[in-house]
Amino acid sequence: MPMLLEGRGLTVRFGGLLALKGVDLAVSAGEVLSVIGPNGAGKTTLFNVITGRVRPTAGSVLFDAQPIQRLAPFRIAQLGVVRTFQKTEVFGALPLVDGVAAGALARNDADPEARAREALATVGLENKLHLSAQQLSYGDQRLLEIAQALAAEPKVLLLDEPASGMNHQESRHIVQLIVDLRARGLAVILVEHNMHVVMAISDRVIVINYGEKIAEGSPERVRNEPRVIEAYLGVQKTQHARAR
Amino acid sequence: MSRRIATLAVLALLCAVPLVVRDDYYLHLFIVSGIFVVAVLGLDLIVGYVGQLSLAHAAFFAMGAYTSALLFVRLQWSMWLGLPAAALGVGFAAFVLGGVILRTRGHRFIIITVVFAELMKLVATNWVDMTRGFMGLPGLALPKLSLPGLGSLDITAKSHFYYVVLLAAIVAFLLCRALVRSSIGRKFVLVRENEPLAESLGISAFRYAMIAFVAGAALAGAAGSLYAHYVGFVSPDLFNFSYVTIMLIMVILGGKGTLVGPALGAVLFTFLPELLREASHWRMITFATILIVATLFMPKGIVYPLVAYLVPRRWRLSDAHAA
Repeated sequence: MPMLLEGRGLTVRFGGLLALKGVDLAVSAGEVLSVIGPNGAGKTTLFNVITGRVRPTAGSVLFDAQPIQRLAPFRIAQLGVVRTFQKTEVFGALPLVDGVAAGALARNDADPEARAREALATVGLENKLHLSAQQLSYGDQRLLEIAQALAAEPKVLLLDEPASGMNHQESRHIVQLIVDLRARGLAVILVEHNMHVVMAISDRVIVINYGEKIAEGSPERVRNEPRVIEAYLGVQKTQHARAR
Repeated sequence: MSRRIATLAVLALLCAVPLVVRDDYYLHLFIVSGIFVVAVLGLDLIVGYVGQLSLAHAAFFAMGAYTSALLFVRLQWSMWLGLPAAALGVGFAAFVLGGVILRTRGHRFIIITVVFAELMKLVATNWVDMTRGFMGLPGLALPKLSLPGLGSLDITAKSHFYYVVLLAAIVAFLLCRALVRSSIGRKFVLVRENEPLAESLGISAFRYAMIAFVAGAALAGAAGSLYAHYVGFVSPDLFNFSYVTIMLIMVILGGKGTLVGPALGAVLFTFLPELLREASHWRMITFATILIVATLFMPKGIVYPLVAYLVPRRWRLSDAHAA
């Protein structure tokens, strides 16, 4: 299958810090690719590079085989590569529909409100249209962020820790939502610390540590990779053990 | 329906002002408020809708006044040509300036707008061959209004010029309303509410800030032209910081991010300092006290409490649409 979005040799240097070292990744339509790694490994930097907020020092990002690494963030979003943020970003004071319509307005959609309502229905917020973003609970705000991104009609959706801070039931809802989006043919790139979520829905997983890709493959394969256990999952397992 | 009646009633009242107000001094204040309405609606686009504090607005106003005055003095262009020329010229200046400074935000943006205003004042002061420096440009006249088939109308009388300004204010209001209700205006608000998020969803903050900045500057230029021909004299004093201060007071205490608010603010804060003359040397202290109290108790501007008091709930869509 042809790759929809590809990163080749992505390297980012912030002064003396090498935040990404030659990372390759690729995702095709209808696929969920998860990016995992310890805090500070470079996952969010990777998102920033793909969405144009940070220019790579070296390497390229290809969308539909066209290089996009020099485009402005709003252009990349208009092409169909849309992200959510690790720290919740919503249009606080605006009514839900007005804020979610942003992505549709940006593409000069004939009926931005209709697109916004559809997106809100997709994530299950259709009963809260009369509220403003800041009146929603934290969990609902995370869903709202996904609705905002969906109204921009992405082909590639980048989700930065969508299930962080969510309870078991809420993260199950997120899992189901991502599965539905994949079924619609979206390419999803997921950064997530919740291993239940990652293992449940990823087609492939790449593991980053100190800005470098240290493993790639199916969830099972990655889980058993010694370097991964050492860098990341081992810590996670002991935490689980302690919690029990 | 009742909303339409209310609008017509307000229009009728505004049209009746010169028939009721016989005192030239109060008529003068109405004319000056009308000119300020045009200017501050423009300021509201960038400050209230896009959310960037521009302190260059009084400079745009003064540049419009100078453009129109110079065209009149040097080329004998009447105000009917001078006004659109001022709007276009100042709009273009804002486009060039915006190309540089709209890439900055926050403190840096504010500081550069102040520096720009000061620079323009220096130009007006020191380019003596063109602007006559401190002596200013006197002798600007108001044009005749020739109506085909009806002969010409003298608008130099205050009671006549009032209608020119009223028309200008209404046109400015309708233009701004069309703009802020369009998809462009909705993008202004999205950029104001969360710029990084708007960008990540495909909206160019730079482009929409530019549209607001240029449109707002063009309105300031048009207002400056009206002012120059009305007062008949321009000088570098027009660039003084006090003008941008009063314009910001009109926008912010009127209710930034609405159109009715700054328009009301323009009228209120033109009249208030004048009415306070009764208080003689307590005047500015009283004015300052009113400003402080209003800021403390009506942080969103006078328009919100006013709308809450005057407009029945069922007419209101939401706060954002209150005005």
